[in-house]
Parts: sequence; structure tokens; C-alpha cells
Amino acid sequence: MNPLRFTRRNLLRGGLAATAAIPLLNARRAIGDAAAPKRFVVIHTPNGTRNALFWPTGSEKSFTLNQITTPLEPYKSKLTFLKGIKLNDSLQNGALGGTLGSEHARGTGGMLTARPLNAGKDFVSFGNTTSGWGSGQSLDQYLASKLAPPTKFKSLQLGVHVRDTEVRARISYTGSNQPVPPREDPKDVFTTLFGGAPSTPGGMTDPAVARLWAQRKSVFDLMGGETQRLMGLVGAEDRIKLDAHLTAMRDVEQRLVGTPGTGNGTGTGTGVMCSPPTLAAADLAVDDQYLQAGRAQMDLAAAALACDQTRILTFQWSYSESEHLFQFLKVNNAAISGNHHAISHDFASSGSNYLAYNAIQTWYAEQVAYFLGKLDSYREGDRTLLDNTVVLWATEIGESTQHDLTLMPYVLAGSAGGAFSTGRYLDFSGARKDNNQLLVSIARAVGATELNSFGDASGATGPLSVLT
Amino acid sequence: MSNAGGPGSAGSAGAGASPPTGIVGVNQPLPSAETCSKDLNVERTPLRRLTRTEYTNSVRDLLNVNVTATADLPADEVTNGFDNNAAVLTVSSLHAEKYVLVSEALAKLAVQNLSALTAGCDTVAKGEDACALAFAKSFGRRAFRRPTTAEDERQLLAAYAAGRSGGSYAEGIEVMLRAALQSPNFLYRLELTPATDATAKRVPLSQFELASRLSYLIWGSGPDDALLDSAARGELASKEQVAAKARALLATPKARSAIGSFFEQWTSTRRLAITTKSSSLFPGFSNDLRDAMAKELPAFVSDVLWNGDGRLSTLLTAPIAFVSGPLAQIYGVKATPSSDGTPVKVALPANQQRAGLLTQAGVMSVQGHPDQTSPVLRGKFVRAMLLCQPPPPPPADVDISLPSVDEGATARLRFAAHESAGASCAGCHKLMDPIGLAFEHYDAIGQYREQDNGQALDVSGEILGAPDAGLTGAFNGPAELAAKLANSSQVRACVATQWFRFASGRTEGSEDACSLASMQQAFTTANGDIIDLIVATTQTDAFWYRPQVAP
Repeated sequence: MNPLRFTRRNLLRGGLAATAAIPLLNARRAIGDAAAPKRFVVIHTPNGTRNALFWPTGSEKSFTLNQITTPLEPYKSKLTFLKGIKLNDSLQNGALGGTLGSEHARGTGGMLTARPLNAGKDFVSFGNTTSGWGSGQSLDQYLASKLAPPTKFKSLQLGVHVRDTEVRARISYTGSNQPVPPREDPKDVFTTLFGGAPSTPGGMTDPAVARLWAQRKSVFDLMGGETQRLMGLVGAEDRIKLDAHLTAMRDVEQRLVGTPGTGNGTGTGTGVMCSPPTLAAADLAVDDQYLQAGRAQMDLAAAALACDQTRILTFQWSYSESEHLFQFLKVNNAAISGNHHAISHDFASSGSNYLAYNAIQTWYAEQVAYFLGKLDSYREGDRTLLDNTVVLWATEIGESTQHDLTLMPYVLAGSAGGAFSTGRYLDFSGARKDNNQLLVSIARAVGATELNSFGDASGATGPLSVLT
Repeated sequence: MSNAGGPGSAGSAGAGASPPTGIVGVNQPLPSAETCSKDLNVERTPLRRLTRTEYTNSVRDLLNVNVTATADLPADEVTNGFDNNAAVLTVSSLHAEKYVLVSEALAKLAVQNLSALTAGCDTVAKGEDACALAFAKSFGRRAFRRPTTAEDERQLLAAYAAGRSGGSYAEGIEVMLRAALQSPNFLYRLELTPATDATAKRVPLSQFELASRLSYLIWGSGPDDALLDSAARGELASKEQVAAKARALLATPKARSAIGSFFEQWTSTRRLAITTKSSSLFPGFSNDLRDAMAKELPAFVSDVLWNGDGRLSTLLTAPIAFVSGPLAQIYGVKATPSSDGTPVKVALPANQQRAGLLTQAGVMSVQGHPDQTSPVLRGKFVRAMLLCQPPPPPPADVDISLPSVDEGATARLRFAAHESAGASCAGCHKLMDPIGLAFEHYDAIGQYREQDNGQALDVSGEILGAPDAGLTGAFNGPAELAAKLANSSQVRACVATQWFRFASGRTEGSEDACSLASMQQAFTTANGDIIDLIVATTQTDAFWYRPQVAP
């Protein structure tokens, strides 16, 4: 029952050795296939930013990266800085629900839903309320359902040291009050992605595995039927809950019940582009091993996309309002001793915490750069996997000392196969746009072409035309 | 696209709905006896999915095997401090995947002792089919917490056939177990007994449903055969019978960890599992220490409830600790370790001003930051969880700076910034900081200290803005604060309310006023006896009824 202990040091190495022999997976496309799929990736890093060191300087097409985003320099031509996105009025305005939850919680639950949080029902002392959970579907889950990609995972949620299970730790929702928890243990992720039953030479399935699949199928059929039967007996609200359960069962059934004759139920296994990563060990209980745990999860995320195991992926670093420690970083030759959230509220413009915050933000940018580099290393015709993806790098608040929600430090990477024009620093902060419009644009770019509005009705509709 | 709705956003809890104005017994008057003498509506509890803890306890009792595999289930989302709020207990794809894999791991273990599992049913003498049917009935009854229906048996036997066909009897039982553990009848605490009066607003629960509510309330697990037998014999028909059964269940060892679980969540010590501390500032905060801290609270609660006077006031004031491993060192005491590692009861030195669970090292650790103490979080804990007056989040549009640790400044001096920052900060912080600063003798991992940054500590404080007049006013130090809390009618009402939330898996609503009032009154009459509060829960309308809901 101790979530920090699930993965112990060295487990990874040993665990992975047993599966090292599995064959290359199901890249359905040969290299050079121009019709490569489009993907959507969200990277969340916590605790906002410092505007003065985040936004580039210069003009739209000719700009210089600022201190915090310097690590992204190699991918500059593939980036779009979006200076001018605000969360919509339902997340800002008290009359519309915008006082539900702290800004950290609202910016987390509203990031991909563009909706206010649900009310917490009680907690009205002193004239205010704290929040319940997200009040609607997030964009990643909307796309997973709408586009229904033919991949092993309709969507994948990964996290690094998320640990927390409160509102501030969930960005993905299948519906109101239906948060989707991330997978945090690289060993579990590896097994889930690449630990499927190996096919025997000649493409035959191990008979014992085929038998397990058949039994799983029987149980799925029986319990799916039973769930449906119960849906007819409960009230409307509980029916929504059982329906979500049924949907989840159908989602996992297609990957837990393989097709005899295939490797792991995911395809024909002729691809050459992708292979499971080799992971280093990481102790998930130790803040000092953040980089190691993060690398493992990023390697898995990149492989999952390259192997076309999923096309929709969210990736969370810690949780919003994170108190993660960064003793492994130094400023002025001294290890950073404070926690990230505390440091993020030190608004002095100099001093050790000022430097520490900048160092932490830059470290996160380095991680984003590492991940973008991974994606960019996969060739897909005359493009790269990164080109065929739209990555949204987001955080739950803007200027960290202000808990600002009116100027979100969002950056896009990749063009979704040319749908977006990149290498730009867009500054529309004089006429800010709702996050709803950004979500519509992303949805259209990756295939939900008819979508015109997303999220709360208080938000603006239509796409963010400046992106294309 | 428009996808408003979903459980929780509907009804009165929806965003933007006008919220209730207070908490009965805390800052709202109790309903009148006349009001409560009527047949009232009851609030709806959303369908309760088993929490990971409930799932784990249930399979432990059903299968009698090592259940560590359940650690693969996702941790439950925490709402208002508790991990069992039914509104958000849904099944994601991750849950669905793990339900399959965990059930397979557990079933595999269970059939290794087939004879014990199937009560020695002799397949040679009786035939495999007869034994499989008998097992479907007996196991299904315990797993689904009611007698099986013909449809249940059909499903379980179909699963059995998927294993038996081309395999063995044991494999058939194994697949049947997987099916039972993946069944919505196991995973959800369904209450579907039809109403006998279709026009009534509320529906009395069946005795099997009451048995299930009782066992999850007190054991955090499903009912055993004996309790199901009681329900079958109609022995849970009256409130007196249910109270007596509740007391009987509370007297068994299984009650201890389940009741302890409430206190772990109420104090947030459950979060010890995900708490980290700076290894340079607190090198002693090892996994062993964290484990020892986590074991202390349930050991202390157990001792007070089952060996002591059982009172809330004792939980809030007793200057004792339960130590194991490196925890004795944190408290600066010596204790002879027990042979089996269970925590040992020790008295704490008077100069430390320790006060029951309020000053436990684990509580001080979770109500803090990885690198420093947090008077705000400690004060907020008292405000929210003991006084039921949670402060709002910080206002928008202010500079929100958390004081950094500067050489030579105590937290009190650093937090004076909240006061000087003007009304927008001071208005709420004066409700938390003067309470939280009382705990400054305990550092971020709960060790006693005389000084902070080389300066003597001032742990005087004041409770402001509490409806209970007896609570309001100045105090000096944690022991005096604890004494105030221990004698407060507001704290008792609040603890009863927190327990109600945990017990019912939801936040109270307006229709719960009479149920809450009766629990608070019973708690007061019993001088704050926790066992009596728990038993009083089983006597309320909220426990006995569900609303009539049209399918």
C-alpha cells in the first residue's frame, strides 16, 4: 500500500532482462510512408513560469530564446510560442465558477477541459468554496474517443513522481468527475507496452497465451453483459458511471485479448522503426532520481509513439503546486535546498531563490528538449515524428508569484504534419485568446476537422487562426 | 462540443450552483426534534466503487492468500481529505486493465489450495459440476455480499467452463474466480433491492445491504458468512439489532485497521507514503522512519479506543507515543523494541508539550513542507479537519510569497508578512497562522526543538472566528491549544461530520441534517466516545435508507 515502494531500485534492470528478446513491434508503416499518423502530446510541468525569462525577444519569425527556454534552441524552427493565451472566463470569473479551487487546481483541471472545476459542495466557510474535480472531458480523451485511432492504446497517460492523487494532480478526464490517473512506474509501463506475449517463430501464438486470451474474452463478454444489465437498474447518474466502466473494459479488451497469430495483439510486426528502450534503474521514492525516472518515462513515451502503440499521450512532471526537491541542481555552487513551490513564490528579482527558480525552470526545459529530440530522431518520410506531432508544453499557471491565469506560458512543438506553421513567436497578448480556441485548433490539426468549439460555453469558439 | 453532465456535475453539486451555507452543529443550528420526527428524504450516495483498500481487504478475506498484487491498482483520488468519495470513484482504462491482471494473479494463488478454497468439495463423490455450482453459490454470496441469483450462477459457471474445457477443474475454478473479481457486483457496492412502495421517497435497505454497509463501515471489507447468515435470518431488522451487531464487529481485530484508516486520512498521515523530505536537511527521514511514523497513529488510536477510555479528548491530548524503529530517537525517548516490530507505548517528556495525535511526528511531517515547517498547513489542518472551517484558497491577484528560510528569523517573524501584506492575506491567515505557530516546537519531521534559527520560540496563539465561544481566545503552546480543542463542542461536531463523510463516502447534504444531528448528540452524550459515535452512525436514516431513484 505504499506507492513509493512499488518500484525498487534495480527492479527495472532485472525485470527488463526477461523481455529483452521480444521482437520489434508493430510499426504499421514502412519508412517513407507519407501518410504517417498525426499525434497529440501534452507535457505538463508544474508551478508556472517567470515571464521575464520565459518569452523570447524579437519578432514573430526572428526571435531569440530567453534564458528559461534556451535548451529548446535545437528545435527552434519547430516551435510556436503562444504569448496571449488565457484560461476562459469560467476559470477566471467567480460568477461563472472561477473561484472553484485554487489557481493551481483550476489551471490543472481547466488546461485540457477548458471548463471550471465542479463545486466541492461544502466548504463555504468565509464566503468561498474549494473545488471538486474537473467538470468535463479533456481534449486528449475527446480525441481518443472521436478519432478512435487503431492503436493498442487509444491514449496513454504517463507521469513522473506525480504521487499526489488530488485535483491538482489530474489533467486528463473522460468526463465530469472522471479523472484518468497517469502511470508512474516505468516497469509497469514497459510491461504494458512491450511485455506482451512474444510470438513464436513462424508467427504462431504460444498455445497457453492463446488460451488465456480466450478465457479473458469469455470473462469480458460475461461481465460486459452484466454491467450492461445493471445499467438498466440504476439511476441516471450511476448509469454514467457504469457506462464509463463498460467503455474502459472495451478499451482494454482489444489489447488484453490478442489475436492468435500475432505477436501481442497489436499488429503484424514488420516494422523497423521502433524498438523497446533500454531503461536505467530509478527509485521512484527518491526526489534526487527525478531525472532517471523522467528519462525512463520519456524513452517509453517516445517508443510508444514511434511504435504506433498510441497517438495521444499526456506526460505529467510531478503535480501542480509541486513541492518537489531539486537538491541535484546547484546555484552558486550550493545545492538547491528549498522546494519548487516555495521557491516559485519568492518574487525577489535576485538572490538564491531567484536563481534556483530559474535553474529549475531551465531544467524542465531541458527535459522537454530531450523528449522533443527523441521524437525528432524518428524519420517518417521527409518529416520526423516530431513534425507529425503537435506537442503542447503547458503549466497550470502563468507568472508564478501571481498565480496568474491570464497569460499562460504555452508552447507548441511540431506541426501535426504541416498543419501549423512553426518557428514562430506569436505575441497576441494585447488581444488575448481563450484556451478553448487553442484546443479547437489542436483538435483540427490532428484530425477532428469539424470541431468548432470545445469546453465551457463562456469560452470563444473557432480555431486560433493565427496558428495555420 | 457540449458534454456537460456526468456524475457529480448534475444536481445540486454542479458548478455554479448556490452552495449550502454551513455545517450543521458547527455554524448552522441543529434541526428541531419535530423536524426530525418526520419521514424525511435522504441524500443520494453515488454508486460506491470499492477503494483500493476495500478491494484489498475484501480479497484478503475472500481468498485468504497474499494480496500484495492489489498494490498494482491505481491509488484512489482524494477528495476533501478522504479517498472514498464515491463521486470520483470511477473506472478508468487503467483500472479496467488492472482489475483483469490483479484478478488473474489472485486467482492463481487461490487455486493453489483448492481444497481449502472449495471447502473440500469432493469432485469424485459429488461430481465436478456439482462442486462448481456449490462454489459459485458460496463464493458468489460472499463476493457479491448477497445470495446469488440464477443469473449470477449462470455467469460464474460459464466462466468456469472457459477454464474447465480443455483444461482442469482447478483451472475452471480459477477462471470463475477471475470473473467474480471482475464482476460489477463485486467491484461496486450495489444497493438495488426494489422498493416495496413505489411512491415512497426513500427506500429501506435490505438486510444484506445493511450487512454490507456495516462491514465496510467497521471492517473496511465485505461481510463474512456469519454476518450474511445474520442477514439471512432477519437479525438485522431493528436498530437495536444493528447497534448490537456493530458493537460485535467493532470488538474484532479487523475493526482496528479499518477505523484506523479514518484517522489516517483525517490527519493526512496516509500521505506519509508519498511524503519526501530534504535529505540534506533531514537525513534521518528514512524509509524506516516513515514506516514507523505511519504505524504510530493506528497503534495510538487502537490503544485509546480498545484499551483506553475511547474518547476524542484523549486522542487530542494524551502525551504518549507509540514508537518502533528509529521513531524513538525522533521523540528523544528510549524504548525496548518489541520482538515483532509493533510499536511500543511510551510516555513523552513533559517539556515537549506533546498532545496526542496533534503533535505526532507523522502528523507534523505531513502537515509541512519537504524543507521546512508549515505553520499555515498545520493551522489549516486544525481549521479544516477539527473546526470544519476550511479557509479559502489565497485570493487572486496578490503577490503570494512563501517566506524563505532566512538566517536568524523565526517562522513567527517571517509569517508576520501575512499580517503586513494587508487585509487580502491577513483576513484568512489570522485564522490559520496563530494556530499553526503553536506547533513550532516541532520541526518538519516532528522532532522537538527549543529554538528556530537560533532564536527562542514563542508558541503563544489565538483562535479567532470560531462559532464555539469556548474555543475563542488566547492560549500558550500546543498543550493548551489541545486542551481547548478537546473541550470544544464545535470540535466534537466537526469530528462527527468528518466521520460521517468517511462513513458515507460523500459530503453531507441538506437532507442529512437530522442524521448528523443525531450522531453529534450521541457523541456528546457519550463524552466524545469514538466507538459510540461509530455505533450512532448505524442508527441514522442516512444509514438505513436510500432515495427512490427511477432507473
